Amino acid sequence: MIIQIEDLRKRYGARQAVDGVTLSVNEGEFFGLLGPNGAGKSTLVEIVEGLRRADSGTVRVFGESPWPRDLDLLARLGIQTQSSSFFVRHTAQEHLRRVAALHRVSRDRADEVLRLVGLEDSANTRVEKLSGGQRQRLAIASALTHDPELLFLDEPTAALDPLARKQLWGLLKSLPGTIVYTTHHLDEAEALCDRVAIIRSGRIVAVDTPAGLCERTGAASLEDAYLRLVAA
Amino acid sequence: MTAAAGAYLLAMVRNKIALFFTFVFPLLFIVLFGLMYGGPGQMDRLAAGVLDWGVGNAAMFGVAYSIVQWRRDDLLRLVRTTPTPVTSLLSGWYVVTLGLAIAQAALLLGVSLLPAFGLTVAAPGIVLLPVVLMVGSLTFFAIGVVVGRLAPNPDAVAAIANCVMIPMAFLSGSFYPLELAPHWMDVVSRFLPLRYLNDAMREVLSGGYHLVVPLSALFGFAVLFGVIGLRTFKWADNS
Repeated sequence: MIIQIEDLRKRYGARQAVDGVTLSVNEGEFFGLLGPNGAGKSTLVEIVEGLRRADSGTVRVFGESPWPRDLDLLARLGIQTQSSSFFVRHTAQEHLRRVAALHRVSRDRADEVLRLVGLEDSANTRVEKLSGGQRQRLAIASALTHDPELLFLDEPTAALDPLARKQLWGLLKSLPGTIVYTTHHLDEAEALCDRVAIIRSGRIVAVDTPAGLCERTGAASLEDAYLRLVAA
Repeated sequence: MTAAAGAYLLAMVRNKIALFFTFVFPLLFIVLFGLMYGGPGQMDRLAAGVLDWGVGNAAMFGVAYSIVQWRRDDLLRLVRTTPTPVTSLLSGWYVVTLGLAIAQAALLLGVSLLPAFGLTVAAPGIVLLPVVLMVGSLTFFAIGVVVGRLAPNPDAVAAIANCVMIPMAFLSGSFYPLELAPHWMDVVSRFLPLRYLNDAMREVLSGGYHLVVPLSALFGFAVLFGVIGLRTFKWADNS
């Protein structure tokens, strides 16, 4: 088990953002986290990444607690930042080399990752001038330079046109290791995920394979199954 | 440290507005004041005033603006996921800030040394100048870290930093000799870091050695604001 979460809770003022979540993610899994806006997906993921502290419950990532900040653990995690988290006035290549240097990884590795995500032709383009799809690729690349075993992707295809989205699927499918991924796109979750968890109002409503969720709800697609579970 | 410093330097040298306010704007002041009031015996005060204001302003704005921008863009959060500690991030930025201060001094004093303006600097001054720049930039850098913590967005940086710097420049005698000012201004200025940077800079440019008091005061301000800045440092906007 790569991630083990037990009865996790987090409250912001009057709002219970995470309300008793128990969940586990296995090695090598492509694990999807689905839910409406404000369902608590981001809070849950940020607690697992060690960026926030839970009020109660336990989280173990590779058997370790992610809070307080644990550098040995962070070295094994790849966290995709927002697609605007780039060093200003840098080119794509310069940005990725900086990220690599912060992780104490060589420039060659940065350039290798740039090729891996298919950005070699945009290496000398300023980050401000990259297209939406290119920005998402660079944001994913920023999480990969130190060769993490566990990768967190936060809506990597948000705000992309359908073609750019489909093009990114190929990259996402090729990524190694264990992946935890949040999205709003159900067709995407169906195509990419080994298992998905559906979260609503801070609680897990269901965890299963996409096919298992369809079967369980008698729905024709993951989208139908999702709508039934979330509306229930 | 080098990655953070490099990113800071590159963002700075590719930013035409920052370069204008760091180099061109103080240069205009030197030329304008120099032509109006300059000449031998006057230019050391004038150059010292413009230089300390320019160095303090650039140090404070640069770091405050970068902290706000990096925090807003989640770059600080990105740094937090790497083995790079905040002290190494900030010390890298400080090295760049000091480099820019030395370049500012070279430019502004280089122009002031022209016969038309009539500055002369004695040998000890040239040796002591880097020390003054080192302590002075550190002080205003530390203030910038605190301004970066307080400002919610880049526009607020300009507002807060100007509110701090402009009154302080007048009260500290950067643009106006305190000898001609009312006594209360002299008293108020003793609580302001720019007063001590101005004193140190004037001392150096006029060939004096009395630097212990102003440099100690500057260092005290640097420690004060540095401790506040590090103790309250925030990695992300919404945490």
